[in-house]
Amino acid sequence: MYDLIIFISLLAVGYGFGRYAESKHYISIRKREQELNSLPAIASRVPPPGRPDLSSQLVTGSVVISVDYFKRFIASLRNIFGGRLTSYESLLDRARREAILRMKEEARRLDAEFVFNIKMETASIHKGRGNSIGSVEVLAYGTALYSL
Amino acid sequence: MEYSNPELPEDINTSKTSPLKEFFILTVGLVAIVFITIYLLIVVIDNFADKIPFELEQDLPISGFIEKQNSIKLPSYLVQVSRKVIKSFKLPAPMSITVHYVNDDTVNAFATLGGHIVLYRGLLEKLTHEDELAMVIAHEVAHIKYRHPILSMSHGVVVGLVLSVISSSVGDSVASDIMGTTGMASLLRFSREYEYQSDKEAINSLIKIYGHAEGALGLFKVFESEFGKDQSFEFLATHPLTNNRITQTKEMIERHNITGYKTMTNFPVSFKLWLDKQKESFKVSERELETKHSKTE
Repeated sequence: MYDLIIFISLLAVGYGFGRYAESKHYISIRKREQELNSLPAIASRVPPPGRPDLSSQLVTGSVVISVDYFKRFIASLRNIFGGRLTSYESLLDRARREAILRMKEEARRLDAEFVFNIKMETASIHKGRGNSIGSVEVLAYGTALYSL
Repeated sequence: MEYSNPELPEDINTSKTSPLKEFFILTVGLVAIVFITIYLLIVVIDNFADKIPFELEQDLPISGFIEKQNSIKLPSYLVQVSRKVIKSFKLPAPMSITVHYVNDDTVNAFATLGGHIVLYRGLLEKLTHEDELAMVIAHEVAHIKYRHPILSMSHGVVVGLVLSVISSSVGDSVASDIMGTTGMASLLRFSREYEYQSDKEAINSLIKIYGHAEGALGLFKVFESEFGKDQSFEFLATHPLTNNRITQTKEMIERHNITGYKTMTNFPVSFKLWLDKQKESFKVSERELETKHSKTE
């Protein structure tokens, strides 16, 4: 009986805090995305032609983010039944956008005009303990171009 | 060339479904699937376990195990009451009942494979009348009559095996915990069903012997004062809540039209004295054991 009570409380805690953290994070992401919209990040591999005056530098932004108990539980059930892992979709969406934002923030500090050739890497951090630790790292990196 | 980042619309990469709804559908689905699977499995097992001959159970060396724990020969009074109860059952041919007594504080009694019934001194001490003793014995005899020990054992083995195979292939601890709990809960449903069935049969036996079923109510009263008011959830318990057992008893009493005040048969004084002596000797042997241990240390 106590197992059941502990399990339900963990789910409730996970759900409550997870939802709160997520909605707060999304508000912050949207706000910062608007602020940094004037600094474009583009995936093109080559810099725009005709600007030999610009210097370039590597900029990176990385974020590590963890799921809550509730989301992990839903995901483990999804592993049985299949279907969209909706509970992880928002997790990764947040991580990607946050990583790009951090990269752009670094670029802004350089007074960059834009960042080109951006790429992303994702790594899950659990070292074989995938059942109990559900965190991902998303790394975004690119080349910032700025005038000296 | 002009570069710009458009403001991306939300909800392309994430979906708007409510997580609580998803949680509800998935959990209920999993629990229902496990429950139905195990239910069907048990129905199939019961078809086979029924056919295991009782003689095979009797061949098991169960007496030996029981006698190892402080078990002594039954006093004639217990033999007499047991005979009375067993006779009222009219058991089919190969079935035989062996009643054992164990001198221990445990407040319990149980029936196991091979028609063996074990009564603990702890429980006997709590009883106030012969009717209650007859109820205890009758309840255990009913378990054997319906072959509950071998049925529950087969359930445990097969369901345990299936659950461990499933959970190891699922590989996820939380999901397999849920499946394990659901599996246990569905097994326990059967266990409680057996208790009700045995209660019913035992009450019929009481009515045959004493003409009333006060003994059952008396026994449940003992349970209430001994184990307190029921605290756990019924779906996680092996036995039905005492309250529900009382309700069933009262329904049966009404159906048999034997309501009203009935007097129960008292224990003979010699039996009470014998129990007191047993308790004394148990304490002495425990003390001896302790001193022995402290000496070896």
